[in-house]
Amino acid sequence: MAVYKRTYAAYEGSLTPTWSRFLILPRYSFARLWQSKFLVMFFMACFFYPLGCVGYIYLANNLSVLSSFGIPVGNFIKVEPSLFLYFCWVQAAFTYLLTAFVGPSLVSPDLVNGAMPLYLCRPFSRAEYIAGKMSVLVFLLSLVTWVPGLILFAIQGSLAGWEWTKANYWIAGSLFVGLMVWIVMLSLLALALSAWIKWKIAAGGLVLGVFFAGAGFGTALNNVMRTQYGTLLNLTEVMFTVWSKLFRWPSDTGISVEASWICIGVVCAICLWLLIRRVRPFEVVK
Amino acid sequence: MSNGQVSDRIVLDNVSRFYGEVLGVNRVTLSVPPGITSLVGPNGSGKTTLMNLITGLVRPTRGSIQVLGISPSDPEKLFRVCAYATQFDSFPRGMTGFQFIYSYLRLSGMSHDDCQRTTAFAIGRVNLGDAAHRKIAGYSKGMRQRIKLAQAIAHDPRVLVLDEPLNGLDPLVRAETIALFREFAAEGRHVIVSSHILHEVDTISDQVILLSNGYVVAEGQIRGVREEMSEHPMQVIIRCTRASVLASRVFEQDHVVEVRLHADGGGLLVKTRDADRFYRALNHLALDGVGIESVAPADDNVNSLYEYLIGGEESTR
Amino acid sequence: MISQWLSQIGLVIRLEMRKTFFSRRGLWVYLLALAPVLIFLGHSLSEISNRKERQAMNAAHPVSTETLRSIQRGATLEEVVEKVGQPFAKMEFHRPRASFDIYQYTDGESVYVFGFQNDRLENIDRRDRDTIPKDSLIFASVFQFFYLRLAIFFGCVGVFTNLFRGEMLDKSLHFYLLTPIRREILTVGKFLAGLIATVTIFCTSTFLQLAALSLHFTGSEISEYLAGPGWGHVASYLGVTAAACLGYGSIFLAAGLLFKNPIIPAATVLVWEGMNMFLPAALKKVSVIFYLQSLSPVVAPPDATLPAFQRLLLTSAEPVSGAWAVLGLITLTVVVLAVAARKARKLEINYSTD
Repeated sequence: MAVYKRTYAAYEGSLTPTWSRFLILPRYSFARLWQSKFLVMFFMACFFYPLGCVGYIYLANNLSVLSSFGIPVGNFIKVEPSLFLYFCWVQAAFTYLLTAFVGPSLVSPDLVNGAMPLYLCRPFSRAEYIAGKMSVLVFLLSLVTWVPGLILFAIQGSLAGWEWTKANYWIAGSLFVGLMVWIVMLSLLALALSAWIKWKIAAGGLVLGVFFAGAGFGTALNNVMRTQYGTLLNLTEVMFTVWSKLFRWPSDTGISVEASWICIGVVCAICLWLLIRRVRPFEVVK
Repeated sequence: MSNGQVSDRIVLDNVSRFYGEVLGVNRVTLSVPPGITSLVGPNGSGKTTLMNLITGLVRPTRGSIQVLGISPSDPEKLFRVCAYATQFDSFPRGMTGFQFIYSYLRLSGMSHDDCQRTTAFAIGRVNLGDAAHRKIAGYSKGMRQRIKLAQAIAHDPRVLVLDEPLNGLDPLVRAETIALFREFAAEGRHVIVSSHILHEVDTISDQVILLSNGYVVAEGQIRGVREEMSEHPMQVIIRCTRASVLASRVFEQDHVVEVRLHADGGGLLVKTRDADRFYRALNHLALDGVGIESVAPADDNVNSLYEYLIGGEESTR
Repeated sequence: MISQWLSQIGLVIRLEMRKTFFSRRGLWVYLLALAPVLIFLGHSLSEISNRKERQAMNAAHPVSTETLRSIQRGATLEEVVEKVGQPFAKMEFHRPRASFDIYQYTDGESVYVFGFQNDRLENIDRRDRDTIPKDSLIFASVFQFFYLRLAIFFGCVGVFTNLFRGEMLDKSLHFYLLTPIRREILTVGKFLAGLIATVTIFCTSTFLQLAALSLHFTGSEISEYLAGPGWGHVASYLGVTAAACLGYGSIFLAAGLLFKNPIIPAATVLVWEGMNMFLPAALKKVSVIFYLQSLSPVVAPPDATLPAFQRLLLTSAEPVSGAWAVLGLITLTVVVLAVAARKARKLEINYSTD
């Protein structure tokens, strides 16, 4: 029998600091994600609308360009908070398709292939695992939501001048807060569903289903029961209500902001509970 | 070769299979007669690809295949005479061993009663009678291997293709399984097994097909292959008292290409291109008082041949 | 040969039934199918309870329908009270320049809300109990906008993509491919198994939805409806449900064979079907939902929750006749199944890359 006791030497090099250890996971996840041509193409498509908004902002601040082409310039082309509100709305649609594609491949393969004990037998906690996986989505979705949103705000500010920026600085805050809340909810939902379902294709379908079927079920509930509470099952409407409040724009969703915040909190709490139940350093063999 | 002979063989004609830019197998031409044929090669050498090609689970990029005169693209005919136990350790969910064999057997057109009887018989042949009505999910690795084997033999095929069939079997079951292969081969059927454990197939095979990096590097009976390798230096192990002296004397012979001293200084390994001349020379050297204790050929098995053909660093055990 | 193929199709269906009907994985399909039943059941139970409440109120404050209907705007509060008595509920608001009174009466069936301003009747709001024509419009909306587009759609995604892609992920598809069965027969067998499962689940749900909806109507109302268009509607809805399973099922069976990740085609089809109401007439016809809507017995009113700018984009296309719609769906199914069978014929087992 070979005895290596005398020759064995433990690793003595430097360790990744504890606070940033969770960032090891996204490093590998991104490398794998970008191998998908579909993802790259879809990711690029996510910037079409922000580019359109840039054009709109430019024209709104340079009406003389339109006049030079003989186009009558009325009062209709102007930059209002609603521009940023609908920016959030459109980009949100892209983000949940992106999440349905990316989210399920983050956790379910680890669970299916029994990789969880391998992660968690190292100095790496469940919270760090969830944070690491979530950071992939948070980073990816940020790139297509509040980052271009703030760039739009900066462009508008630079074109409209300091007075406009000073009067509307809160839009930047609303963009960041509103979209980060959306991103966190979406990420938790995708991770929880993929951890629960394990089959990544079904989990992707379920992410889509939660939004589409939830919205449909909510509308059906409203129609049949003559109520507005069904809208709480429509997460995009719930989020739109919150965004409307943040962008100081009237909401026609029929539900209150308070109810919307509670709904978001409940969804996030359920997702966290599901994640904590599934992400564990042992496997239950039936 | 007559038609009758062709229809009794598994014929691959210049078959290549690429997975994108990755080579599966390349320019394989074989004519496999009945009996036990072993596909031997390290991981990734193309054994499973070759088996998948024979059974139609993958299609050749080039070339053609005939199994007893039937194309693998015609599963309706092929799987009446052929069976394949794959390496995949997965089964349809929620089935018992009996249900698993019975359900797929029904698809071959047998009646309910025939299927019941045949399933019970096949399960009996692999000694799984007691576990037949338990869920496969609860089976051990060895039991799962045996239930796959039972499914493969259930419809009494003339061609049995088995990917690593002895994996996970204990010695007793292994011996029983090998006996089963021999029984099948003795009836004039084809049994094609793959393995990377050489001593396993060395003793049971009528012929071997050695694969490396997607190429067939040798085929035929083990001894036959060995003889055809005239360029392959034969290895002889000599245990003696004065190994270094013997080494220098042996190396003077022009047919000796390499001599290696054993670490304990009590023997040496000699590689020679002419075994007859070497043995004659050894007799003379023995008479000179070197003190030879034993002389044994080191390579009359698949392992040494394989090592020679594909290089030591790629060889298996 | 054909009898052997038929027998093999039957055996594949039997094998697949276990996976489609009785697996824990498929539980969510049942939940999806039952969700609208629960909504309609809730609605009927609340209607029954409301009616009981109204009848109790009417017993406590008896007033006839004719008397309530004879009340006209402009009458004074005293005149109204003199004619119909005290209400079962009343509210008062006082503003500096006006006072408002709301009086509620019921004849046991409808609720009459009289709004007085400065003691003069300004507004009469009659809330009739639900009628079958009214509820059938609501049912049509839920059926077309939720049940067909989402519940059956996602149910079919789950069941039909699982038939091939699910087995590839479970690494158990090769057991089929190693039996003496033509791949085309296997494709048809699996499709029929999925179809039987989805048709059974979703048609049962459709029937239960209709039953739940009619729970709060009286026996005579139901008999009258069934003697008229009722049974025709029931049969049509069941037929449309089956047709939806047929159309979507074939698409998702093929998607499971053609794509490693069937969610991408599923999302594309979902968006396309959702956009249908905004598409030009010619493009509308390149969708399953158009034919399903053409077959639906009641035309659903447009979704009231649509934002105004989206309503402007709504387009309409003349629905095709029932026969053409059925022919269109069957043609679509046959073409898609042929493509799927062709793919199955060339299918290779290479689980490691899936």
